[in-house]
Amino acid sequence: MNKSVYMSITLVAVILGLVMAFQFRTTSGVDQGVPYSREQELITEKRQLERDMDQLREEAADLSAKLEEAGKGYSEATGALQSELLKIKLYAGLIPVEGPGVEVILDNLPESERPGGNPSLYSIKDDDLLKVINDLRGAGAEAIAVNGQRILATSEVRLAGNHININLTRLSVPFKVVAIGNATTLKSSLEIKGGLVEYLSDLGIAVRVESKDKIIVPAFTGGLRFDYAKPTQRG
Amino acid sequence: MTMLNQHKEGEPFMWLGLWLAVLGLGIGIMVGLNIPLILPQAYAKYMSVAALAALDSVFGGIRAAMEDHFNNDIFITGFFSNALLAAGLAFFGERLGIDLYLAAVVAFGVRLFQNLAIIRRHLLKK
Repeated sequence: MNKSVYMSITLVAVILGLVMAFQFRTTSGVDQGVPYSREQELITEKRQLERDMDQLREEAADLSAKLEEAGKGYSEATGALQSELLKIKLYAGLIPVEGPGVEVILDNLPESERPGGNPSLYSIKDDDLLKVINDLRGAGAEAIAVNGQRILATSEVRLAGNHININLTRLSVPFKVVAIGNATTLKSSLEIKGGLVEYLSDLGIAVRVESKDKIIVPAFTGGLRFDYAKPTQRG
Repeated sequence: MTMLNQHKEGEPFMWLGLWLAVLGLGIGIMVGLNIPLILPQAYAKYMSVAALAALDSVFGGIRAAMEDHFNNDIFITGFFSNALLAAGLAFFGERLGIDLYLAAVVAFGVRLFQNLAIIRRHLLKK
């Protein structure tokens, strides 16, 4: 046993250890080796999945764009409904309005100026008020109120003792009728010769018509009830 | 009995050889595990056959040492030529489309077991 024997034994042992360690690492690192066909299969599958993913991503983008559009449409529809509601409220007289128009003040003459006889003959009746309202409407008034009571399609004007009821509210003299519309037309239709102002004056009622640039007609404040009337299918 | 005496004479030397072999194996494994180099999967087959051949050579050497006709030159040349031949055979078989490495595996495997059996017998006879 000389030195060269030990050298060769050590060399062989080192190389053997190296080879075995390498082999161990190679085989364990690749999971015993995936068969080539399986690898190809997996690669194909991966490519397919990637394509699918791209497609789905595109679809998702498309759908989110559509969703956004739909949301926009929704808010637009809401806006349209809001403006429609506002318009209908305006027509119905549920919101206060302002604009140019006339103010008609009806009052009883003082006792001294009345032509004698029964003073109740010369007081303002519901007929007189109705005539005024009717005349204003005929002249194109868009909104009318009497002493702060908005005249609606359902409003009544009824004599109740010394008072006149409008919208179930008791009103008494002096009556201030405000109407929004073309001030000139309204005023002239009332003050025309042989017209309502002349007629009322003859009846012993003090009538004053003033045109104004800005008149505020308040909203109807009572409740609207439809116990019997039901909407039909034909709108 | 003569063999036993001979062994007794060379015992310290044999133990030194054994320790050197174990140490070398340990160093080789450590280096192999820590080296930042990985063999391509395609060469793993050749490497495995080469490792088997090397293992066979080592057992052959041990057997020769026990039968007291250990020759260093034969051992070294056998180790390298067996490993290279086995790897080359596997490579050649791959080119030809025959699993020639199986032949190497069978041949070296059989020899490995034979050597192991003889070594076992020697150990038991002691």
